[in-house]
This record gives sequence, C-alpha cells and structure tokens, in this order.
Amino acid sequence: MEAKTSGLSRLGSAVSGFFAVIARFFSEFGTAMAKGDLFVKLSLLWWGAGYFRRRQYVKAILMTLLEIAVIVFTLNFAMAYVPKFGTLGTVQAEQVFNMQTMQTEWNDYDNSFMILLFSLFSFVIWFAAAVVCMRNVVNVYELQMQAQRGKHINTFVEDLREYLDKKFHITLLSLPVLGIVVFTLIPMLLLILVAFTNYDQQHMPPTNLFGWVGFSNFVTLFGGGITTTFGYAFVRILGWTIIWSFFATLTTYIGGILMSLLLNSKLTRGTKIWRTMLVVTIAVPQFVSLLLMRNFFANSGIVNTICANIGLTGFLRDIGLISTSYIPFMTAPGWVHVMIILINIWIGIPYQMLIATGVLMNLPTDQIESAKIDGANPFQVFKSITMPYMLQVTGPALITDFVKNFNNFNVIYLLTQNVFVTTNQFMANSQAKETDLLVTWLFTLTQDYYNYKMASVIGIMVFIVCAVFTLVGFNFMISGDKEGTYQ
Amino acid sequence: MSKWKTDIGTSASESAIQAGKARQKRRIFLHNAFIALLCVIWIIPIVWLVCTSFSAYSGMNTSTFFPEKWSAIHYVKLLTPDTVNQFPTWFWNTFVIACWTCVISTLFVIMVAYAMSVTRFKSRKALMNAAVLMNLFPGMLSMIAVYFTLKTFGLTNSHIGLILVYSASAGLGYLVAKGFFDTVPRALCEAARIDGCNEAMIFWKIVMPTSKPIIVYTVISSFLVPWMDFVYAKMLLNAGVSANYTVAVGLYRMLEKSLINTYFTQFCCGGVLVSIPISILFMIMQKFYVQGVTSGAVKG
Repeated sequence: MEAKTSGLSRLGSAVSGFFAVIARFFSEFGTAMAKGDLFVKLSLLWWGAGYFRRRQYVKAILMTLLEIAVIVFTLNFAMAYVPKFGTLGTVQAEQVFNMQTMQTEWNDYDNSFMILLFSLFSFVIWFAAAVVCMRNVVNVYELQMQAQRGKHINTFVEDLREYLDKKFHITLLSLPVLGIVVFTLIPMLLLILVAFTNYDQQHMPPTNLFGWVGFSNFVTLFGGGITTTFGYAFVRILGWTIIWSFFATLTTYIGGILMSLLLNSKLTRGTKIWRTMLVVTIAVPQFVSLLLMRNFFANSGIVNTICANIGLTGFLRDIGLISTSYIPFMTAPGWVHVMIILINIWIGIPYQMLIATGVLMNLPTDQIESAKIDGANPFQVFKSITMPYMLQVTGPALITDFVKNFNNFNVIYLLTQNVFVTTNQFMANSQAKETDLLVTWLFTLTQDYYNYKMASVIGIMVFIVCAVFTLVGFNFMISGDKEGTYQ
Repeated sequence: MSKWKTDIGTSASESAIQAGKARQKRRIFLHNAFIALLCVIWIIPIVWLVCTSFSAYSGMNTSTFFPEKWSAIHYVKLLTPDTVNQFPTWFWNTFVIACWTCVISTLFVIMVAYAMSVTRFKSRKALMNAAVLMNLFPGMLSMIAVYFTLKTFGLTNSHIGLILVYSASAGLGYLVAKGFFDTVPRALCEAARIDGCNEAMIFWKIVMPTSKPIIVYTVISSFLVPWMDFVYAKMLLNAGVSANYTVAVGLYRMLEKSLINTYFTQFCCGGVLVSIPISILFMIMQKFYVQGVTSGAVKG
C-alpha cells in the first residue's frame, strides 16, 4: 500500500518528480554529446547518422525521412503562420477588383485564428521534434556503448519486436496520447492564448483581425475596463457556482449514504426492487429526465395545477411569499435555485447510493456490533463509525464530485435555458443570468455572443478555482493519517 | 442478529417476547413503508413520462396527472418522420456514433489503464500527474477550441467529428480500469514472463481473459456516452440538417416554444423509447459499476 501523504507534499513530490524527469533527460543528453563519437554528435544534425554507423540502415533511413518530413513541414507550412504569430496578422480582408480576371476577389488576407492555431500546432510539432532529436542522440550513444562492449546490436526486426515486449507501453500509449494531445492539450493551450487576445464579435476572423491585448481581459473580469458589469456578474456567478457545488455535492453524498443504509438495513424487504426503482431515474438520459422536470414544474405545468387545487398556491400568496397566480418554481430567482438543488438531489442520490452501497459492503461490522452492545444509538453509530469510514474511503471521490458539480453543465443548462430569464440589468449586460454556473455562462458567451476572449478568461478562472479546491481538499481530507484505524 | 439475542436474553417471560415480536413487526412495516414512500417520490416523474407518452393529446397535459384519453397514436407519429421529427434516423445516427465511440474509447481506455497499471517505465508517474492536471480543466472550454479546429477541417455537422470528440480523449478516463488492473495478481504475469511470454502476450493471454468485468464495464459505459450526451452533440450538429441529429439534439428541438404544443407527447414517446435500451444496458453495467467506481475511489 502506498503511504498517503498530505496534498501539498504530494503536489510537491509531483512537481519535483516532474523536474527530476527533465533533469535526467538533459543529463543523459549531455553525457551522450560529451562522450559520444563523431557519428553520435553528427546525429544532432543528421538524425540517421548514428544508426548508419552501427549498420542499422532501415532505422537510419526512417529517421532521415522523419527529419525531412519535419523540415518540409517547417518550410511549407509553419513558415506561413509562425512569423505572423507576434501580430496575429496585419492584412485585413478586403474585396479588390482584379484587372486580369475582371472580377472582384478577396485579397490575400490574414486569418488571425488560423495563425494562432497553426502556430501553436507548429510549436507542438517542433517541441516533439526537439525531444525526438535529443532522445535520438541518447539512443545512438547507447548503441555506441553496446558496440564498444562488443555486445549484440539489434537488427531492425529485433528492434520492432521490442515494441511488443520491453517497449510495449509505447505501443499502448502512443495513439491514446496522440488523441489527448490533439483533442485536449492543444485546445487547452489555444484557449489560454485566446484569453490574451481581443477575439470577440467585433474581431471575428476571417473578415476581421484580432490581436494581442495582454491582461486587459482579466482586468475586465475583475471589474475594471469599459464594461464594468462583468466584474459584478463574475462575482455573483462565482458565488452561486460555489454554493451550488457545495450543496449539490453534500446533499447527494449524505443522502446517498443514508439511502444506502436504509436499503441495506436488515429490516428492509425486497431490497432489489427498491434499488431498481431508484436506479431507473438515473438510467433515463438526463436530457429526457431534466427536460421533463422543467415542464413538470413549469408555470402552467402539472405541479402548479395540483398546488392550486390543494390550495398551496393560495396559501403562499396569503403569506406573501409569491405575488403571482402560480408558483414560479423555475422562473423566479431564489425559487429556481432551491428547485435546481432539489432536482439535483433527485438525480444524484441514486448514483451516490450505488457507490455508497459498494463501499459500505466492506464496512467493519464488528465495530458497529460492539458499539451497539456498549449502548450507542443508530445516530451515534452513523456519526462515529459509518461516516468517518465513508469519508476515509470516498474522500478523494468527494473532491472529484465537487469539481464535477462545479462544471455541471447539464443540470443547469437543461433546467434553465429558455425558461429562466433574468430581470437584473447588470447581469443581462454581461449576458449572464442568476442561475448560470461559470461553465454555462462561458457556453452562452461563446455560442450566442461569440465573446471568446471573456469565455477563455472565465475558463482559466474555473481551472484555477478547481485546482485550488482540489489541493486544499486533498490536504484537508487526508491530513490526519487514518490509514490503520479501520484495519 | 445480536439484537435478537439480547432481546431473548433479557426478557424473562413469554409475553415480553410476544410484545417484542409485535414491536419488531411494526418496525419492519414502518421501515418499508418509508422506503416505499421515497421510491414513489423518485419514480413519479418517470411514471408521468410513460403515462403522458400514451396520451391522445399532443401538447403538454397540465390539468391532470394521468391523461384524460389514452392512445398510442403518438408512438406511430414518432416513427413516421415529418419535417421536425426524424426519430428513426436520429436513433440510427446515435447508434452508429455509439458503436464507433465504443470501439475507440474502449481500446484507448484499456490500453492506457494497462500501461499505467502493469508496465513500468520512467515517465509513468509524470504522465499520471499530467492526466490529473488536465482533468481539472473544464472540458467545455477545450471544446470551443476543438470546435474551431474541426471547423477548419470541415468536420462540424458531421458524425466523424462527433465520434472524435467523444473518443479521442477517452484515455484520460483510465482510472477506474487501472484500479481494476491493479488487483490482477502480479505473480501471474511473472510466471508467464518466466515461461517466455513477451509483454504483448501477457496482455492478450493473461490479463485480458481475467479482466472481463472491467472490459464489459468500459464497453457499456462508453457505448452510453453518445446516448446520454447533449451538449457536445448540440455544439457540433446544431447548425446542420435535421437528418444528421442525434436523439438528444432532435428531442431537445421538439421542446422549442413554437413546437412544444404539437410535439410534447412525441417527445415523451421518444424519451421512453430511448430510455428502454439504455436502462437495460445500465442495469447490466450496474453490477460492474459499483465494483469499478469504488475500487477507483479507494486508489484515489
């Protein structure tokens, strides 16, 4: 079993481990360059040189071809974009009359987004090429050492076979990692870069250019700049996002444990039937169940009819809680916030119940038995034995859940989109509404208002907040070393 | 059990035992009645969905819980395409996308999980830390950039783009499967190595056959992604033609203000039809689900 350490020192070890990997990489490269023979040194320029010297001709040809590919890529592709990276383009798109063809044509304009995207793409390729090149020198040096010691040098087929044996992890990882780099890493870096540009509706490629603006988007977000409402909306939405994730996580977590205890109690008859009934609610896709819920609770929906019939609507109006002829479940601030959390309990508890059931199967029953003999009541057992055990086992998952809820797009969007309309002018000015989470706000900004610069800044803030919560959470959860308590 | 023993031990007379039994019975009844109440609350919206789908009225029924006139006419309507509703096509689209996603994601997840769990190499820890960090970044945000990248290559409003979005980064969700592989006894692999197996053979011949539960879990859960997802499908397919939609985007469109009064019951029918196969798969997966999720959680 790995010893659990606190979050900060875990982060520390992760960071130092990361730097150790880099340091080792460079020191190996340094040794190879210093002690290698001429062909090893030449490998830095001609990637195939070292292999050629050791008569690994196929490898030599392959590496040479790879090098040529990188050079061709650089000259034919990267050079069209990277030199403009500093300005993100200067030639505005215009229609000009071409005397030769007698037609109006678009000029050879710059597309800022393409420049940004393909420059970044080139940087990633170059970075990979540099790593391959340096790694190559190290490999060639190892070949030299093997040759000097008179050891057998692999043929090409033997080298290939290595990829099914000692280097099997490379075979396994290369495709998935490529997928992650293209579909997660590059987009991530791209959006971080966009946060420092003025890419928005007034600066939409291809008709318009956008450029670098430094930190001014961050200033706007924190209440400076021209649109001061952004700061207001950001604070309001951040507040609600945190409140939402806190309650959404806590209610479903505790509710799930209680539900699981209830279902697995010795008094329960027909546990499987009850469990199936609960699980059906999460087996139905969220876009069905949530869209259904919002119509269920609509202003003219079925719940409102029932409430009016049993006199609840009238009662609430009498005590002054509502001023309308219906209960504004999904349309008034306050009401909608409570409803969202309640509906989330409805879909969240069965899920947590499943997890809790799995964990509680391993609950040390002898401790509970002896506690009961000592006269502990069920609540005390729950508080002092069940909960601490659950926390110890599922603590990290709790933090992950918090982050997931922080970015819980589905629940908020499906419940409130086109239903809840804000009446707050300040919020409306920033294209936000009271029920928005940071991610749904970000989504609206990009989808409906093309405000990519602010969306990117918000995304970076989400990342920072999530990272801080995760770190603090891990630190807090695993601070006391309780590993041995339950064993 | 101990409760019973102590009860019998302390009560001296027969009548006290009788009273205890009666009390126990009442407790069991109240306990189960309470659970029944909770389950009824939980199931009400689903019951409403099913009932409404059998309503003869095409708009939303707001006056009574159960429809006034029952009819299966909207199921027939749903299965005969019109300008708005192309449910059979949507269903087929989603199915095709789900199959591809399932194959690619499962391969990626199993490959990464196996590499991280069983094989040992220098940068293993560093890669795992990088994965943790990347998971903190909101997927929605990188999605915006992915959207533009796909647009550049003309892959928006196409199923290939959507399949790539669902499956290309699947490797990041390797933790549950890794938790499972961690429990496969290492002695088995060692023995195979001594017998002259290379790593690939160990993967195929030793670990894969013993990992059926986690493979089933991964297959089903990745198959379900396109059925459950709404937002990525909407982002990528929204501008396209209705015949390209997935079930989620199509059904969402039915609830637009101008359409809801003619299509609400059909929406409910669609919801029921989608939910049935998914629920069945989900129930199968549930068995592996608890095991998988918790072993992942314990490992942190």
